[in-house]
Amino acid sequence: MEGLRVKLHSNQRTRFVISNLTVAILNGVVWGLIMALIALGLNMIFGLLHIINMAHGALYMLGAVVAWYFIELTGSFWIALIIAPLCVGVIGLIIERGLIRKIEDKPIITIICTFGVMLAVQQLVLMIFGGSPRRIAPPIAYRFPIFTLQYPLMRIMIALISIGLMSGLWIFLRKTKYGLWMRAVVQDREMAVGLGIPVNKVYMWTFVLGSALAAFSGVLAAPIVSVEFMMGREVLIMAFIIVIVGGMGNLEGSVLAAIIISLIQGVGSLFAPPSVATIFALGFMIIVLLIRPQGLFGE
Amino acid sequence: MFIQKGRSFGFILVFVLILSVLFALPFFVDLFYQTFLTELFVWILFAISFDLIFGYTGLLSFGQALFFGLGGYAVTILIKKFGLSTEPALLFSIIIPMIFSWFVGYFSVRLTGIHFVIITIIFAIIGNIIGDTWTSLTGGTDGLTFSPRPFRLGLFQINLMDIKGNYYFVLAIVALGYLFLRRMVQSPLGKVFISIRENEERARLIGYNVQRYKLIAFVIAGGLSGLAGGLYSLTLKYAAGSYLHWSVSGHAVVYTIVGGMGTLIGPAIGAGIVLSLEHYLVNFLQATDLVVGIVLVVMVLLAPKGLVGLIQSKWKKGKGSA
Repeated sequence: MEGLRVKLHSNQRTRFVISNLTVAILNGVVWGLIMALIALGLNMIFGLLHIINMAHGALYMLGAVVAWYFIELTGSFWIALIIAPLCVGVIGLIIERGLIRKIEDKPIITIICTFGVMLAVQQLVLMIFGGSPRRIAPPIAYRFPIFTLQYPLMRIMIALISIGLMSGLWIFLRKTKYGLWMRAVVQDREMAVGLGIPVNKVYMWTFVLGSALAAFSGVLAAPIVSVEFMMGREVLIMAFIIVIVGGMGNLEGSVLAAIIISLIQGVGSLFAPPSVATIFALGFMIIVLLIRPQGLFGE
Repeated sequence: MFIQKGRSFGFILVFVLILSVLFALPFFVDLFYQTFLTELFVWILFAISFDLIFGYTGLLSFGQALFFGLGGYAVTILIKKFGLSTEPALLFSIIIPMIFSWFVGYFSVRLTGIHFVIITIIFAIIGNIIGDTWTSLTGGTDGLTFSPRPFRLGLFQINLMDIKGNYYFVLAIVALGYLFLRRMVQSPLGKVFISIRENEERARLIGYNVQRYKLIAFVIAGGLSGLAGGLYSLTLKYAAGSYLHWSVSGHAVVYTIVGGMGTLIGPAIGAGIVLSLEHYLVNFLQATDLVVGIVLVVMVLLAPKGLVGLIQSKWKKGKGSA
């Protein structure tokens, strides 16, 4: 940067800064939309089941890993994008039916239990998939110019797919019977039981849906980041931050928080080292936790 | 009263017996197992300090890794960069984490349940990032190595560079830590901790300042976690930012759940079992955490009170039928 600054003319310099800034903003939005999907899954599970799923990051990682295998097998990213969330959804089903159902009324114990699941899944992937990071080539290689830089079209596609998924989820929650049930259970569990809503089943499908959303974001993130068994660990924490800042149980808040935080991180990393940006984000979250535990956008 | 006395006599007997076995052990096992056992003692201290905050006070803190790592850094940096001798450095590995745990606890104990868990994770992550990036002080991700001077107490002297000397040194401190914690949980203060775990609302209504007692438990646990970290660094002659990663706290969670929370002896047994299992499995399984994770899930589902709880209920049942 320093060397470039000296050599460039002022006009070129402005263009250089603007293109860098544009790319940082675009990256922030794309990553924010992916994080929003992860956080939505985590937040839906929290809002309904009142449990913190520590294995959520592992499910995100699993989505990417399963996608990698399907891409090796079929050569198509798009098939993997459909199949990987289905597979992870089934795993979510097993986790919910086999483990969480049995300890649902003990929130602290579920944290420990899902922490165990996280360890087991991560290490299972390490054994089968190996420890070295692998890349998934973006299915659309085209790059379009932004001032002086090139930007991959694939990232725009990823953003559009995320938006599509979120709109689908919104319609599902607003317009379908299951969506209505889910909202009813969130509002008043006792009343929902009284009205004959199969709460047990709603729990199950919420967990499956949340797991599938994590897997979706894993597949979508795969062409941007590298696929490895630890990729879910830091993402899990970011998802926590987003859910808390946006408000636990507040889905719209999560989407908003995801995009804002990713933008701040993306643009901030142009001016400060990423570790400083992360520490600021974490410090901000501590303040939110202490002053507004219901989240920034909660009422 | 009689039962209490009988129990305490039995405890002393068993404690002395175990200590003498552990005292004699280095004469029968090789250096590798001496190192293994030394590390096991350190993890036991870490686990029982976690048990004070989780098992007795009911606060699931994933932030204990922060204090563990701080203790490790305190010993390492004070000895390496400030040329301190071992005794004050080890003292600082208790004091510095206590100061930090007071700071972290001051904010954290205001929150309950899931929020408490998350805020402790965040503090640990901040510590981990600072440890990894403040290279001039901490050595960054490479960490720092050092050689401690012999530990002196009056005429008594232990060479910590010698594996056997280090073994006895760690054993003695962990045993003292165990006795300290046992005394603490049996004291009136310990009873307050338990009452907060059992029913926070009721404890408040009786008139206890619940937040202050939580903070006391947090600071004591933090200091002992720091001591464990300091001993760990003295054993490995090394400290790094990875000690502060929140998942290190997961070790303590696993040992405590497997052994039985709120029992002190449980986490110690849990640490022994899990570490031995890992040590045995590592020969033919690359990923020992797989088994640890499965063990954790199974214990949570089938025996939430851990092995100690399992044995106690069996014993009671047997007594009841007889």
